[in-house]
Amino acid sequence: MMRTMPTPAITTVALVGNPNCGKTTLFNALTGLRQKVGNYPGVTVEKKEGIVSSVNGRDITLLDLPGTYSLIASSPDEQVVADVLLGSLKNTPVPDAVICVVDASNLERNLYLVSQIIDHGLPTIVALNMMDVAEQSGVRIDVRHLSDALGVPVIPTVAKKNKGTDDLRAALLAGPAPSSRAMQWTLPETVQRELDELSGMLSAAHKYRSVVAHHTALLLLSSPAAPDEGRTDISPEIRAHVRQDHEKLDFLGIDRYSVFIEARYKWIKQVCAYASSPSLSTGASLSDRVDAVLTHKFWGVLIFFALMSVMFQMIFSWAELPMDLIGHGFDAVSARVGSVIPPGDVHDLIVNGVISGVGAVVMFLPQILLLFFFLSILEDSGYMSRAAYVMDRIMSSVGLHGKSFIPMLSSFACAIPGIMATRTIEHPKDRLVTILVSPLMSCSARLPVYALMIAAFIPQYTLLGVVSLPGVVLISLYALGLVAALAMAWTLKKTFLKGTSLPFLMELPPYKMPSLKSTAIHMWERGFIFLKKAGTIILGISIVLWFLATYPKTENATPSERLAQSFVGRAGKFIEPAIKPLGFDWKIGIGLLSSLLQREVFVSTMGTIYNIQDDSAGSMREAMQRDVNPDTGKPVFTALTAICIMVYYVLAMQCLSTLVVVRRETNSWKWPAFQFFYMSALAYAVTFGVYRAGLMLGY
Amino acid sequence: MKTMMKNLTDVPQGTRVRVRHLQSLPELCSRLRELGFCEDAVVRCVVNGSRQMICEVCNTRIGMHHSIARTILVSSYE
Ligand SMILES: Nc1nc2c(ncn2[C@@H]2O[C@H](COP(=O)(O)OP(=O)(O)OP(=O)(O)O)[C@@H](O)[C@H]2O)c(=O)[nH]1
Ligand SMILES: [Mg+2]
Repeated sequence: MMRTMPTPAITTVALVGNPNCGKTTLFNALTGLRQKVGNYPGVTVEKKEGIVSSVNGRDITLLDLPGTYSLIASSPDEQVVADVLLGSLKNTPVPDAVICVVDASNLERNLYLVSQIIDHGLPTIVALNMMDVAEQSGVRIDVRHLSDALGVPVIPTVAKKNKGTDDLRAALLAGPAPSSRAMQWTLPETVQRELDELSGMLSAAHKYRSVVAHHTALLLLSSPAAPDEGRTDISPEIRAHVRQDHEKLDFLGIDRYSVFIEARYKWIKQVCAYASSPSLSTGASLSDRVDAVLTHKFWGVLIFFALMSVMFQMIFSWAELPMDLIGHGFDAVSARVGSVIPPGDVHDLIVNGVISGVGAVVMFLPQILLLFFFLSILEDSGYMSRAAYVMDRIMSSVGLHGKSFIPMLSSFACAIPGIMATRTIEHPKDRLVTILVSPLMSCSARLPVYALMIAAFIPQYTLLGVVSLPGVVLISLYALGLVAALAMAWTLKKTFLKGTSLPFLMELPPYKMPSLKSTAIHMWERGFIFLKKAGTIILGISIVLWFLATYPKTENATPSERLAQSFVGRAGKFIEPAIKPLGFDWKIGIGLLSSLLQREVFVSTMGTIYNIQDDSAGSMREAMQRDVNPDTGKPVFTALTAICIMVYYVLAMQCLSTLVVVRRETNSWKWPAFQFFYMSALAYAVTFGVYRAGLMLGY
Repeated sequence: MKTMMKNLTDVPQGTRVRVRHLQSLPELCSRLRELGFCEDAVVRCVVNGSRQMICEVCNTRIGMHHSIARTILVSSYE
């Protein structure tokens, strides 16, 4: 009987590769998780962990990392990869092995990173992904030859179709052996000598592991200037030595920046020639023509805005029917429960607090689902990067560049992924500006507020036979957010975050047909998150709010007077003087207060207080339309108030989670505090202006 | 005779050229090389706009501002 040698236990494995080569798809296939996948570079911007389980119980932790072109990072997301591999990221052990994911249709460029990874000396498996795309474009790769040439196992995969993932898992669990070969690419002799010497000095002086020493030596030799006194991690002798090396190589006429890259590429060319046949040269293809139109300086911009308009128009009109159905459903439940529970506090809590509060928010599920349907199509089709490309003109007029537009577009879903996505921006000041303005883009939490106000107070006109007035109002709100973000970016770049930004340079992924399945999964996930929030946080707040809106009880008073005397009523009355200039009364004040940390709560609050106040049958929408201010005799909500409320919600920073993430990403409370104050001030000022203008126009 | 060099910005749509030289800041040069614009690489101009262009190199499309494309010197590809 043969006994296999026990392999050293592998516990942590990192997935590394170029942006958009399918790392996360592979990660999801191996771990069964559902991390976000999208057809544009920069989807993953932080480290994610998952478990690959094995039959013998030796589970492996798999790390999904951001995409990178090189281990010499040029943006914060790329730095994560270098840090993980060098073991300098806190709370993350150095991985025991690496799966290097390679886009088979783009072998040459992808092998550049592979060569850097192999140099790291960690056991490496190459996952040759996108084999389907490679075959389609006529690239033929001899897997055995490639593995021979690289000196590491190569496993072909099609991550999207789950092909080859079993082989990959098996190879992983078997434990890949460390690469036995030394550096395979050859540097000019002088350079190699300096490199070896320097890395030897680093190991000796700083007890660096050989990998870290080698990497640091490479970085030092190829950096524009020798490290100055600021680099306390490098001893003065080594600093002096690097300076001498620079002088020597410069004197010899060696281009220190390109010599390493060229040496790698030279080796890569040999590998490619040995292991692959070049793709058949393709002439102008369909996607060339699509690109010519979508990125046209005039048509491209027009198409972008037209797409956005259609999207928001659809969100509004398609959601109407399912929204009414959900509304009726909640009414029916409310009536049924109401008839079962005897009148009293419990009855009121359930009917007015829980059902109307939560129901008011859940009613907007269809809008949320539609929003994510469209965003998911944008992300999967490859259009995101084109949008960044066409918007570069507009973005550069405010001092940012097109790349900043991707975080802003992502913020239509939620500002948090938007802020995370700024990690792909190389320039720190540009990144900060983008972080500061992204929350002005209307996120999905504002959608219920807009939808409630529009449905109740904006009349259903149809303009020109096709576009509905409510749709136009919704589009205008999104546009207002965009304009405010651009104006703020311009102001910040002109004042205290001055600096020139780098010109636009970005990979544009191939167009793909969005898959119905992944779109459906995406919608389901986001819908679930929305419902979970409604069933937990919003439910909790609704219960508390019901108590605060019911107690202390005033006997022998109308429901409206009782509400005014309750805790929240008093709080609303307390802030009323401050918000009166915006056209808001104390009831709206209650909504503003309760939604201070989370926007949707405005809707549940209105649901609760209008159910407490108005016992007659009918929806909360009707109760709001009927409500009259006893002091003025005028309706509490007019079209103008509704617009003012929406404008306020476009601009105000009412999201605790966003502030927390900004704090983490900027490493200080200074920026989230600034963001909170500038957004609140902006919201107040603009709403005031809109209200005064509205009054003057006679509304 | 040496082949004529020109800037990548001057390459008409649909034409293939060979990268000859990069003349920009070191960091930018490194990034361009890592993206595939290394010396001798074959580049196809997909769309050439008024201030930006899209090129295909190593089977991937890269969008770039003209100010970057201007630093990439190319010669015709036979
Ligand atoms: N045709 C094809 N598409 C794939 C394959 N693997 C992944 N994709 C698609 O490629 C795109 C990018 O996939 P991701 O998994 O997000 O890529 P990533 O490497 O994690 O990207 P970043 O996180 O941005 O670095 C998605 O649209 C996937 O559906 C494959 O084997 N074949
Ligand atoms: Mg990813």
